[in-house]
Amino acid sequence: MATIEVRNLTKHYRQGKNLIRALDGVSLTFEEAEFVSVVGRSGSGKTTLLDLIGLLMRPTSGTVLIDGMDTAGLRDGQRADLRGRRIGFVFQEYNLLPALNVLENVMLPLRYQGGGREGRARALELLETVGLGDRTHSRADELSGGQQQRVAIARALVNRPALVLADEPTGALDTQTADELVTLMRRLNREELVSVVVVTHDLDLAARTDRVIRLKDGTVLSDDGQAAKVA
Amino acid sequence: MEILRNLGRRKLRSGLTISGIVIGIFALTTMGAMAEHMNALLAGGETYFGSSISVHGDGQGQSLLPMSKVAEVAQVPGVAAASPSYGFNAKPGDQNGISFGPGDLILSWDPNLSHSAFNLNFTQGHAPTARGEVAMGSDIAREFNKKVGDTIDLPVRPANAKPDFQSHSFTVVGLLGKTRTMPDTVAWITVPDAQVLLKDSLPAAIRDTVDTSQLTDSITAYGASGASLATLDQIAQRITDTVPGVQADKPSQTVGQFKSASTIFTAITTGAAVLALIVGGLSVINTMLMAVGERVREIGLKKAVGARTRHVLREFVTEAALIGAIGGGLGYGLGVALTTILNALMGASNPNQELFLVTPTLSVLAIGFAVAMGTVAGIIPAWRAARLDPVTALRAQ
Repeated sequence: MATIEVRNLTKHYRQGKNLIRALDGVSLTFEEAEFVSVVGRSGSGKTTLLDLIGLLMRPTSGTVLIDGMDTAGLRDGQRADLRGRRIGFVFQEYNLLPALNVLENVMLPLRYQGGGREGRARALELLETVGLGDRTHSRADELSGGQQQRVAIARALVNRPALVLADEPTGALDTQTADELVTLMRRLNREELVSVVVVTHDLDLAARTDRVIRLKDGTVLSDDGQAAKVA
Repeated sequence: MEILRNLGRRKLRSGLTISGIVIGIFALTTMGAMAEHMNALLAGGETYFGSSISVHGDGQGQSLLPMSKVAEVAQVPGVAAASPSYGFNAKPGDQNGISFGPGDLILSWDPNLSHSAFNLNFTQGHAPTARGEVAMGSDIAREFNKKVGDTIDLPVRPANAKPDFQSHSFTVVGLLGKTRTMPDTVAWITVPDAQVLLKDSLPAAIRDTVDTSQLTDSITAYGASGASLATLDQIAQRITDTVPGVQADKPSQTVGQFKSASTIFTAITTGAAVLALIVGGLSVINTMLMAVGERVREIGLKKAVGARTRHVLREFVTEAALIGAIGGGLGYGLGVALTTILNALMGASNPNQELFLVTPTLSVLAIGFAVAMGTVAGIIPAWRAARLDPVTALRAQ
């Protein structure tokens, strides 16, 4: 069974008198432990797709299935729970909480989903994995950009999600740091058996993924890896 | 911990907000402590006068009553007991200092006091039973530094005493426990001694012609144990109607006066609470709204990692409540410190000049009020935070 499936996803906005078709009938499937990139120009619908898959917004029509469960009928609280348990997020601006130290930032999802002592051990293990085992009690703003993004990756994985959604994760990093980060994400994708979907403008990054989905004007222009897989 | 760090990130703003609450709760504590002191005083009077009937001359003749009236009052149906009653200023001519109570008094000990709902307990010794004995209230004993076995001259001779001023030596035989009301400042003597003091108080021209053992200042009458105010009012009316030359005060009227005064002091506390509410509440709302505005992305992130609406609501309300608790704790602490210092300074020479009483009720009210105010003031900002759309919040600049 596919881990995540989106069926005929559509998202339309009303902007004044104009109807914006941010996403228009997109259907995709993400299997376990895939490493996927979504590329396209600004306004192609990449971020909208990510927000819809991440259950951060509701589609105009269509649905998202997570582990075979149709999320269309779920209430906001149920969507939050499912999001917390099955989906991790990595953002361009890291979005670490300044009032929390590194370990507490990684453990943040556990606050809402539970996890206790086991969760703390998992967070410490992940921080070791991302190379920040010695910075657990540092404040987020004491870390470099690359280090902060590694903390964000550890946070995204702490609940053992099925899918990590990364929105321009290397957008704020220099080339070398970005390269190291992609290597790390690739490694965790294999070790943790977690699917990773990266929304990016960076074609070099996209080239390092197993599957590249190109969006244009809210529709799927091509789905290279899927085509390869089918073929 | 996260909440404290969030407050620490905006030290000036958090400090100013907490200061607003500190001022409000400080005012509530000090005003409340003053009101509690007065209310304790009034509550004692309410209990005493609500369970006894004061009988005095009807204003037509002399103010003193013949002793025979005591027996006549005692015969009135419904009266369980009646006693002669005498009262004198313990420090005649004392013009120094400010007194926040009835002042130091010498009263005749009433063996029938057990009929009253007012309880007096001796911490040492016993009630005066023989000539030359005095039992002292807690404040007056402290004022004159007396303990059982000591002697004291009463009334206290004033600096400008007239040549014929008389005082008498009494041996302290009992000390009463603190009541926070009138008995604390009373020296209790026997009726025969009180009659001697009555004679001393008469003009020299008639002093030796009057037999004060046959006179009383007033009469205190009691109904059956547990008699209601309405019943005592009826008995008072009956005394006035059936005993010639006397006027019995209806206890409900006296109690009403005490209650009116108590209402004023309660209004002072309420006013301070309203002040605290306005100053502190608006500060908290403002601070929390600014916090929500600054932490929009943080809220979006929390929602992205699985926080439900109620989680965000709870976190912000808790932060607001903590602001209230810190401000309340500091304000209450400052209030207690100030009232304790002032009580110590003012009561050093005379305990009757103490002005404040911090009761457990006031403590719970002050801190509870601050926390509740913070919580309520935090609800609107917290609700705004909790309802934020996660996508909009995450992309906020």
